[in-house]
Amino acid sequence: MQWPLNRSGLATRNYLVDRVRPNVAGSVTENSSASGTSAVRFAYLIGVLAAFALTLWNIPPAYLSAEWAAYRNSWMGGSKYTEAPPSRTVSVAELDIDEICSPDFDTWRTAHRIDGVEIEAVSDCAPDNPWDIAVSVRGANNVTEATLMQSLFAPDAVEKGDDRDGDGDPDVIDIRLEVMELNGKSPDGSEVVPQFEIGPGITPGFWVFAPKTRGMTTINFESLVANRIVRLPAPVIRIEQGDEVRITLENSHYLPHTIHFHGLDHPFKTSDGKGNDGVPVFSEHPIMPGKARAYQLQPRHAGTTFYHCHVQPHSHILMGLQGMLVVEENRPNNWVQTFNIGAGRVRSPSVAVREQYDREFDLHYLEIDSTLNNRIQRFNDPRLVSRSIHRGYNITKRSADYFVLNGRSFPYTLREAMVVVNPQQRNRIRILNGGSEGLALHFHGHKPRLTHRDGVPLSPGQEIQRDVFWIASAQRVDLELNTVNDGLNAYGAGAWLLHDHREQAVTSNGIGPGGDVSLVAYEKYLGPRGLPLAVGGLQSLAPFFSSAYYAGELPVFSGMAGHDLADPEQRAFGATNLWYFWIGILALMWLLIIVPLRRWRAR
Amino acid sequence: MTGGRRISVAFAAVFVATAASIHVVTAQEQHHHHAHHDHSMVLDRDGMVMNANADVLPKDCTEVSADLEFEVRVGRDYARRGLTFGYNQHEWVVPPCARVTVTLINEDQVRHQWMVHGLPRYLYPQGMFHLEVSGEKRKSGTFIVPSDDRTYLAHCDIAQHMEQGLKGQVVVGSGNGTLPSIPGISAQPLPDDYASGR
Repeated sequence: MQWPLNRSGLATRNYLVDRVRPNVAGSVTENSSASGTSAVRFAYLIGVLAAFALTLWNIPPAYLSAEWAAYRNSWMGGSKYTEAPPSRTVSVAELDIDEICSPDFDTWRTAHRIDGVEIEAVSDCAPDNPWDIAVSVRGANNVTEATLMQSLFAPDAVEKGDDRDGDGDPDVIDIRLEVMELNGKSPDGSEVVPQFEIGPGITPGFWVFAPKTRGMTTINFESLVANRIVRLPAPVIRIEQGDEVRITLENSHYLPHTIHFHGLDHPFKTSDGKGNDGVPVFSEHPIMPGKARAYQLQPRHAGTTFYHCHVQPHSHILMGLQGMLVVEENRPNNWVQTFNIGAGRVRSPSVAVREQYDREFDLHYLEIDSTLNNRIQRFNDPRLVSRSIHRGYNITKRSADYFVLNGRSFPYTLREAMVVVNPQQRNRIRILNGGSEGLALHFHGHKPRLTHRDGVPLSPGQEIQRDVFWIASAQRVDLELNTVNDGLNAYGAGAWLLHDHREQAVTSNGIGPGGDVSLVAYEKYLGPRGLPLAVGGLQSLAPFFSSAYYAGELPVFSGMAGHDLADPEQRAFGATNLWYFWIGILALMWLLIIVPLRRWRAR
Repeated sequence: MTGGRRISVAFAAVFVATAASIHVVTAQEQHHHHAHHDHSMVLDRDGMVMNANADVLPKDCTEVSADLEFEVRVGRDYARRGLTFGYNQHEWVVPPCARVTVTLINEDQVRHQWMVHGLPRYLYPQGMFHLEVSGEKRKSGTFIVPSDDRTYLAHCDIAQHMEQGLKGQVVVGSGNGTLPSIPGISAQPLPDDYASGR
């Protein structure tokens, strides 16, 4: 057979004549030449078809669209039944309780009386250190040396004195804050320093205000983990209405910062004529690295307020330089707990709060765009960090990927950021939305009452009860959570979810449950070390405490009786098939490109 | 080998520079340093001294070989380019078994530290001798170094302060190498890429 086929037979001859050249001796006849060439051509054609078939047969499914894969399968025996691959066996973390909740803090949970300070018992897995609380209430200058030594505060972190109005509590308060970086870069190693995990293996970079600390920022020299008072969020600061308060910011960071007191009564200038509003350009120059400045406050009104850095606020606030500042109503013998480390339950509430409420909670919400926060993990030179944060990042393109309550995402919220209650209680919940997006806070099983907005009490007619509270950026709301089981205030005891109902906020970078998910947990629904009783016990919580879960490596549904919805094993495409595929490709390239090219050049 | 020689030459040069700021104190002058000998913490509003030891010899020393006293100044003014903070020098060379009294003078308005690690734990809890000073204050403390040639880390452990320049080394005798990222002395293992974008 000759090729190209020509049914008329006319063109064929011409074709052969055109192509065939006699050799030098001229001994090859046209006929013999034609028959030899036709055999070669036949082999060539077979070769091309074989290589094409080899390639097509062995093409990996991933290289084909679904339609093409189906088309190929229909041609190549795809009609026969093949069993679906089995589920991949994943080792779901088998954590024990000591890994989920450290036993180190068992003595911190009980009620304490330290240097005359009554500290309420709590159930939290990670409770506040009682000696930190005693120093916060009395002032570092009014506690024993033993108490100060058991706290982590510097001796001038908070000092209290001068009962100006003679009502039995100090009215001149000196507070010192430092600026600390969490999860930043080290030129000596690839691990971030000092470390603060918002969730398992999740360490976005942060800048925070911290009470002036003593000693190392880490737990010890061997550890890279930040100590308990250098953390997100910045501490809740509590002062009493009418107190003369001086807050000194010692800028221990490598970039300039200030403090602006949002919603808190303060004069525009200090008594010595310096800027007191924390706003660069209009109020003052920023506090440079290594420098300190004192702000003066004497608030005439009580309420929940907000403090934050006002240098390049669109990035510094969201880097974590923000905290709640609560002004408590003036009462006799009212020693308020100056620092509530990590927010959450207030273990030594003010007199006014104790008059009306059984428990008090501070909830500080923040959403994070890690493409901003992780910039501090790229550079060491402050000039490069500054350029990247202030000029490289464009907040108008922002999209948040992590969501924290009191500095933690689920499941770490279960350790220290739950609202733990009992039936028949009135609880005060103070909430700050420190993020730049609104917050749709939803309480399962309860309809709390809104009593204050931005620190201002609402008249009884304005107070509203609802189960979703829309809280604007920078807004504070005070809620009364009444746990009377009347079908309106509460539906009875339980481990009720508490979360932002914008659905992205219940995830950590898209993996749920994560984000700011927490619980309104009744004590009878708590197990050992204050962890909530989960359906299936502690082990059903274990997967959430592994970084693999938030890396998306664990299936949502696994180990559920009777159903197998774990990830299927990837059906391996045989290595030999892959070899044949590439042999086919090479053969085709040789036959369709190299051979014609050589023949053409031989002409 | 060449590297080793280069390092010891650097040591010698810095030793000469360091020697100028060290003066040997007399026996009478030593007396007032004996206040901190209980290996614990002395803490006040100005700062703290931890694990000071002016009396107990390390096991491998038969006597105090020398009494040295030097000032360490710390603050923004001593920062190298691209860093935020600095010590006035980042290497301190001392003879084996020397008794060293350090005065940390803080020229900033924030807390700083001079913390030496890796000392014998039977003498210094957690292997640490530590000076910490609040803004614009000073603190002194004494410790005795062991006999072996070794290079000890001296740094400030406040978040990012070591990374921002407060990293130095105490070289006993000829030391046993140079630590990384010592400003003016050694390279950073993971330096910034100044060619990179924002």
